[in-house]
Amino acid sequence: MMSEIENYKLEYTPLDDIAKIREKLREGFSSGKLRPIEYRKQQLAQLMYMLKDNAELYAQAYKKDLGRHSFETNMLELSATISEAVEAYNNVEKWSKPTVPPWTIQFSAMKPKVFKEAKGVGLIIGPFNFPVFCTLGPLVGAIAAGCACAVKLSEMTPHISALTTQLASKYLDTDVYEIINGGIPETTKVLELQWDHIVFTGSGTVGKVVAAAAAKHLTPITLELGGQCPVFLDPRINLKTAAKRILWGRIVNTGQTCVSPNHLFVPSSGQDALVDALKEAYAEFYPDGPENSESLGRIVNVAHFNRLRGVVEATKGAIVDVFDTSKSAIGDGKQKALNLMNQEDRFVPPMIVRDVNMEDPLMQQEIFGPILPIIPVKDFDEAISFTNSREHPLVLYIFSDDPKLKDHIRINTQSGAVDYNEIGFHTAVPGLPFGGVGGSGYGAHTSKFSFDTFTHLRSSVDSPGWVDLFFSFRFPPYTPSKIRQAGMLWPKLPPRPGAQGSLFGGLAKWYRWSFLFALIGLMLNYGPSPKLLLR
Amino acid sequence: MSDDIETYKLEYTPLDEIPKIRDKLRVGFSSGRLKSIEYRKQQLTQLMYMMKDNIGLYEQAFKKDMGRSSFETNLLELNGVISEAMESYQNVEKWSKPTVPPWTLEFSVMRPKVYKEPKGVGLVIGPFNYPILCSLGPLVGAIAAGCACAVKLSEMTPYVSALTARLFTKYLDTDLYVVINGGIPETTKILELQWDHIVFTGSGAVGKIVATAAAKHLTPTTLELGGQSPVFVDPRMDLKSAARRILWGKTINVGQTCTCPNHILVPSSGQDALVNALKDAYAEFYPNGPQNSDGLGRMVSVTHFDRIKKLVEATHGTVVDVFGDSQSTGANGKQKALGLMKRQDRFIPPTIVQDVTMEDPLMQQEIFGPLLPIVPVKDFEEAISITNSRDHPLALYIFSDDQKLKDQIRNNTQSGAVGCNEVCVHMAVPGMPFGGIGGSGYGSHTSKFSYDTFTHLRSSLDSPRWVDLFFSFRFPPYTAGKLRQARTMLLPRLPPRPGTQKSLFSSKWFRWSFLFALVGLMLKYGPINRIS
Repeated sequence: MMSEIENYKLEYTPLDDIAKIREKLREGFSSGKLRPIEYRKQQLAQLMYMLKDNAELYAQAYKKDLGRHSFETNMLELSATISEAVEAYNNVEKWSKPTVPPWTIQFSAMKPKVFKEAKGVGLIIGPFNFPVFCTLGPLVGAIAAGCACAVKLSEMTPHISALTTQLASKYLDTDVYEIINGGIPETTKVLELQWDHIVFTGSGTVGKVVAAAAAKHLTPITLELGGQCPVFLDPRINLKTAAKRILWGRIVNTGQTCVSPNHLFVPSSGQDALVDALKEAYAEFYPDGPENSESLGRIVNVAHFNRLRGVVEATKGAIVDVFDTSKSAIGDGKQKALNLMNQEDRFVPPMIVRDVNMEDPLMQQEIFGPILPIIPVKDFDEAISFTNSREHPLVLYIFSDDPKLKDHIRINTQSGAVDYNEIGFHTAVPGLPFGGVGGSGYGAHTSKFSFDTFTHLRSSVDSPGWVDLFFSFRFPPYTPSKIRQAGMLWPKLPPRPGAQGSLFGGLAKWYRWSFLFALIGLMLNYGPSPKLLLR
Repeated sequence: MSDDIETYKLEYTPLDEIPKIRDKLRVGFSSGRLKSIEYRKQQLTQLMYMMKDNIGLYEQAFKKDMGRSSFETNLLELNGVISEAMESYQNVEKWSKPTVPPWTLEFSVMRPKVYKEPKGVGLVIGPFNYPILCSLGPLVGAIAAGCACAVKLSEMTPYVSALTARLFTKYLDTDLYVVINGGIPETTKILELQWDHIVFTGSGAVGKIVATAAAKHLTPTTLELGGQSPVFVDPRMDLKSAARRILWGKTINVGQTCTCPNHILVPSSGQDALVNALKDAYAEFYPNGPQNSDGLGRMVSVTHFDRIKKLVEATHGTVVDVFGDSQSTGANGKQKALGLMKRQDRFIPPTIVQDVTMEDPLMQQEIFGPLLPIVPVKDFEEAISITNSRDHPLALYIFSDDQKLKDQIRNNTQSGAVGCNEVCVHMAVPGMPFGGIGGSGYGSHTSKFSYDTFTHLRSSLDSPRWVDLFFSFRFPPYTAGKLRQARTMLLPRLPPRPGTQKSLFSSKWFRWSFLFALVGLMLKYGPINRIS
């Protein structure tokens, strides 16, 4: 393999090959080679080493495509994906074991069992913002579940996609895992075909297109969309910690993160203190000014850069002047910020915008850039009703130490996830599903949930002949005695609402136990001696 | 309430009302009433009594709409829903408790938790064949999960739908649960609106329409479709028991059951013995001929009657003469079967057809009537490849006592469920999901799975300040030291590279024996020994 990222050129998959790839994957799936768990584990280990061995190349590719610092590449993409793969590697035997439902007197004789079976040939369509985590992450689930899988990578990250394509053909079994590259025509072609499950990460608009294409083939689908993730900030909290965490969440991958805090609600009285805390965090993150920071990434393309420039120009909020150290900057915060923006380099400095209202141009769609609008509100109920008037966000953040307030906000809103005093980390925690609700999508992934996504729960019974000693009442002709027998399947109903529970019904448990104890007591006192019973 | 089913007339929901109903349900959901588990349980209880108090009316309604015997109405519909409701009633507290993921060194300090929250306002679109089980069954899940819900009932079962609509307003909280009645225009109107989850039961063709409509609003859906559920029969098994069970599965609700066995695949050599066993079962089920049986239902509509009749006329298979010397005259089984069919009454006698090929008109789509084609095959390999060449069925049945054969068939096919030596019953087993795959749909329901269907898993963290004592490496400016820290904290130990020898030191066995050796040495020479 070449160690220079410039040598990896993105080639679009020829349109004619796409249907052939699907056929090849179906054959690979039908061959049964993915049935042994050992083989799946071997492929998972290959995936881990594919990322680990090539961390340096990936760091270069991310630098090229997204201007990203190798720290973020390692932490947010490679480590996160490897962790998922290790989690799946360590648990796939357990996850794949058939489960047995709880014992019941009527049915357990039929040996009920739920087999965990692969759905078939999966498809993952990845976004540009997390081109490894959001594609190879779900792929981990497909591998663990025993599905073959095609992965459509983003054309907006050419170096990363080219690198992943080459590595996948070197490390993975290409009969069952295949990368597809291309733009809209290729994706359209991909979506014309039948798949057994689709995981899509991207915008709501494209999500609808994907869902409609899937509907034609009755394909189940997982949609990971974005949404305007709000932060509710209670000014009574330690603002220093809160400001650092929120600003960090906003600037990671230069704000091009689906779980990134989109805007911040704070009771008006607390805005000044919060802005001060954010300024401090800003100075700490960018001691030499953002334009000189090695840590900051770039906007993925000029179109997105121009979109961001447009909203910054249009906002009626006040851009906080955090650019003191910047030598070139003159004028107010807004002018300085605009001066620092660099189209050639697709550089946008992180910005804090205060006194924004919900009608502001900044608030019309997900920002997806390093701009943090602060919306002063009367109280948290106003913030709740703002939030409920829009699509359910992917995450809702609450910074507060007041348990009552935390519950109040959680209970009165809907969102994919809810994080208290933290940003985004739930995506990394094993055992927490990562998924949206309403406008932010449906279905969930990460480790076990990715496995479940690509797994069909195949119910099964195995009924011995003698079961009909008890169940032959089901066969015609239906006679009165058979009807009586079937009546035994009726469960005992709880008391009718509003009706008084009888002593024997409502207090049944209590009553039954005391009756039993009384009986034992009486027996011990007056009954035959225990010795007699034991003989 | 009137005790006479004739007084229940189906009225279609006015088109203008439909968006208002959705808005009303949304207001009801937002009111927060359903946050109380007690309230959900109270509504579940009401639903149970709604069934139990009105058994007589439901029996009449099902008799009217589908000619169904009260035995089947009780066993397959009312009992099914009540059992699901009871299961939910008893477990909803447990199901609704937030879960905590397994402990991890790095993340458990952030108190991870998964809240079980209602998705919002659900929609259930029910089929005609099990108008109660397949609409109120999923509703049980919506209630337990804390969703408001609209239920669109089938217009093909007018009495059942009219009765249910009326009972809803009497028993349930109409701010939260509403029946919508109507045909295609009403359903189209419903599907224009945004819902938070849709459960649809019906045909694949309509399933695609529902899924397409849902896609416009990014609504998740559960599709319960049908499919040609095959039966693999191993002639070495007890054919008497097999024949009874298969014929029973085919004749309940006169074959209008999505999990019912669609056709039998049997090695040619075993066909005769199987047909004989089926004949015996037939005689046992219908001692006075099918036309005189109280147990047999009717086709739901004339259209479906005509479709089934045409299939019998067109088949190239041999209709087995199971009709004895009933009133129907005719030279052979086919003529007798056709003679017994009564359009006015929508009556189709259960009909066994042998020597059917996969190209036969009978095999072109799901039969959905009491016709049982037997397809002789060379061997089970052939049966498997026939099955795999079609859409995945909702259920696949294997009648055999040979564990290897059972595993072989199961491992080499895909289907919603797999029943060994049994048909249809898996639906009723608590703790087993009921759902399809591929052409037979996706998602699943019944009790806990219905609850999950209407539940959003809302992940949550609560991260104390001191976490940043360990996690502040995440903040810029990024340095080499921070990257090292991140790798130590977040990058797990990888398993050995495939193809390489496992190192001795990494094995569990080695670590334990090392520990024991150390303890042994310490006991012998260490301070512990000296103290004692």
